[in-house]
Amino acid sequence: MKRVLVRQTLVLLALAMVPGIGQAVYYRDRVSWNAPAIAPDEVTLEQAQSWGDSVLWVDARPTEQFEREHIPAALSLNEDSWDELLPQMLAQWSPEKHVVVYCSSQSCAASHDVARRLREEAGLKNVYVLHGGWEGWSAAKK
Amino acid sequence: MNTSPHVQSPLFSAHRRKPPRLFVAPALAAIIGGLFIYFGALKAWDPLKFANDIQNFHILPWPLSVRLAFYLPWLEIVCGVALVFGWWRRGALAILTSLMLVFISATIAAQVRGIDLDCGCFGSATKNLSFTSHLLIDFAILAGLLIVWFRQQPRRNDLYL
Repeated sequence: MKRVLVRQTLVLLALAMVPGIGQAVYYRDRVSWNAPAIAPDEVTLEQAQSWGDSVLWVDARPTEQFEREHIPAALSLNEDSWDELLPQMLAQWSPEKHVVVYCSSQSCAASHDVARRLREEAGLKNVYVLHGGWEGWSAAKK
Repeated sequence: MNTSPHVQSPLFSAHRRKPPRLFVAPALAAIIGGLFIYFGALKAWDPLKFANDIQNFHILPWPLSVRLAFYLPWLEIVCGVALVFGWWRRGALAILTSLMLVFISATIAAQVRGIDLDCGCFGSATKNLSFTSHLLIDFAILAGLLIVWFRQQPRRNDLYL
């Protein structure tokens, strides 16, 4: 019985490799295999810092996390309190500003969602997502 | 001699009607298999998004996350198909149960470490669900897998592989 289980498991594990390898070959030129790639709407920390005072930092994490710690001068704007926080953020915005949104890490979705809503609903231009998020920023400051 | 059509021998009755519990495991296996095929297909559709979701757990380095993102969805699909059709069911159950245990442990660990989680466990289908809802679905699927495991009947094709 145990041998049957082991054989079946190995066959299924091997079978799944066939389409997996096929898809990886198909995607081989579109994937960054050794480090996460930067998306077109993302900026690196160095790039954002090079904009100096024209950057408007937007923290898309939950309010409790923002209150605990955030990038200096950042404004809180998350989807849970969108209607309440958006007017405060827009009061600080001006057309020459570069809006850089961040959430906790590279792969959290909140910053991308907030950036998209700022572009589509508030009609803002020059809205970017910080590559690496809060985690990348804190690592660079250590 | 009683010739009434309403009175049947117990033996005849047993042959006519299978106890309902015999259908529980195959039906549950088909439902869970279907779910894994669906969730696996959602993840296989966008492997780069899934690679980011794996990376979000902060457990594996990117090179491993991106390679797993091309493999795990297909493993779910293959095992889901095996469950639905009853082929190599023991192997499929063992793999899917192990995967669910890993998903649940990683999700809880991420929550404990305060990671803002878009776990990607079910592709984009459950993107807006809370942590508790994700965990409840995970545990429900795990319970279903265990029920199928303990209620499954020996199958002839199990003996050949």
